[in-house]
Parts: sequence; structure tokens; C-alpha cells
Amino acid sequence: MYGIEAINANNGWAISVVGISIVFSGLVSLSLVISQLHKVLALYENPSKIKALFQGKKEEKKLEEDTEEVIDIVLTQSQKETFKQFALLVRTMEDHFSLPRLLHLAKISGLKDPYSNLNTLLKIKIIAPDSDGFFTWNKNRFDKAVN
Amino acid sequence: MSNINEILKISTVFESLDEDSLARLAGLFDSWEIHPGDTLTNAGDTAHTFFLLEKGTLLLAMDEGKSIVMNQPGDFAGLELLSAKGIYKTTLSVLEKGRVMAIPRQEFLDIIQEDSGAAAVIMEAWQEYIDAAAPFAKNSEDAGLPIQF
Repeated sequence: MYGIEAINANNGWAISVVGISIVFSGLVSLSLVISQLHKVLALYENPSKIKALFQGKKEEKKLEEDTEEVIDIVLTQSQKETFKQFALLVRTMEDHFSLPRLLHLAKISGLKDPYSNLNTLLKIKIIAPDSDGFFTWNKNRFDKAVN
Repeated sequence: MSNINEILKISTVFESLDEDSLARLAGLFDSWEIHPGDTLTNAGDTAHTFFLLEKGTLLLAMDEGKSIVMNQPGDFAGLELLSAKGIYKTTLSVLEKGRVMAIPRQEFLDIIQEDSGAAAVIMEAWQEYIDAAAPFAKNSEDAGLPIQF
């Protein structure tokens, strides 16, 4: 028995399909590994990124804890209104925004005592620095402070 | 806190100096009262003064929208944070009323150039301060050469 007949008799087609599937799956897996290899190499070349990854998680946890802290500065109604106006300005900016830019916008928008109020926002950590020279707005703390 | 010696001793940048160097440096500082909205330096102007914070809050606005908030007694606004080649490269504004100690830039740089011991201590502490407070502001090119500031 030879040829097609022999293939049919010994499950040749099924074995071929399985073989092709195994090779194809292997190649797909290999290509996925290669496509992500640059990330592993980047970590290998700069191990501080691994540290930063874990620190980032710790910072997130700390941020959550911070929002639980009691805001112990008593705000006047006028300050609360000004903070709401600051919040509106921040909404027009990036998540990580420039503090001098926010101050500039506050000044040209005619917000009351922009320097002092910006300082208070920093003190009660509604505005907090990131690690790249920009700042973020903590909505939880803001809501807690003005409500 | 009322005198410059106490502030120098709690400043990360100057705390490790010996008594002689501290005394010499202290004599160069002048006390300024600051108020919200004051602008201590303007980017692009000739750099003539560096500042040591005693009390209050300062906003140091840098290139590309980056900035540093200084609010700890002993924070130093000087060297590469403030100027490059004799020109202010950042704008320093006051957010909260307080007091700064001002030192003429040239006299400060003279000390660095003339007193190698003090210079080494200051520059080492300065690099640590920048690494901790504003690593994004670090100037790696020719850091440590007084003429660069």
C-alpha cells in the first residue's frame, strides 16, 4: 500500500494537521516573545525601572492612604469658591499639569489671591508634585475639602 | 528662626561645612522679607543673586512647564536651578509670605572657586539635594564648574 491510500489508512491527514498546528503555534509564540524582548532588555539595561515599578505601586497605595487623612485646615467659603475655579482650570489641562501654567491661567482669569490660594492647595495636598516637575490634582481631597 | 547660621546648619546643602566656612558664608547673606506675588528672579535676566529659604514658599518655574515648590527652611535656590552662564534660566516667585536669605551670585561663586574644601562639600551636598528634590532639573553637562552657573 502506497501514496494517498497509505496516508488515509494510517491517519496521515490528521497527523499532518496536528504537526502543522504545533509548528504554527510554536512560531506564533516565538514571534510574541521576540516582539516583547525589547522590554526585557530595557529592564536589564536599566534596573532602576524595576525599582520604580514597585515604588509606583507603593506611591499609589500611599496616595490612597493620603486621601483618608483629615484635612485640618479650615477653609473659608471664599477659598472654597476659588478652589472650585482652580478645579475648572485644571480640567482644561493635562492630568500631569504645569504649576506655573496653572498660576498664569489663574492670574489672567482674575481668580482671587492666586499665589496664596495655590499655596493652600499645595499645603492641603490637593495639588501634589509628580516626579517629573509636573503636578497632579487629587480629586478625592478636593471633594473632601470643598464639601 | 532668626539668624543665618541656624538656617545654614539645617540646610542640606550647607550643613556639612566647617565652622570657618559657615562663618565666612554667613557674612555674605542679606535677609529679605518676601510676599505672595513677589518675583525674585526672571528667566533671561542677568543672574546676580542666589536665595536660601528661611520661611515661606517659593515656586521655581523652569523650562517646558516644569517647576519646583520650595517650602523647607534651608532650601537653596541657586546654581544650576537658577542660572546658567550668568543668566537666570528660571523664574522664582513667592507663593507664601516669609523670608529668604539672599547672597550675591558672584561672591558665592568666588567662595567655590577660592575654597576648594568648602566647594567640594557644597557641590557634593548640592548633587544629593538635586537628586532628591529635583532630579529632572539636573544639569549633567560640566556640572561643578562655577562658570556654568
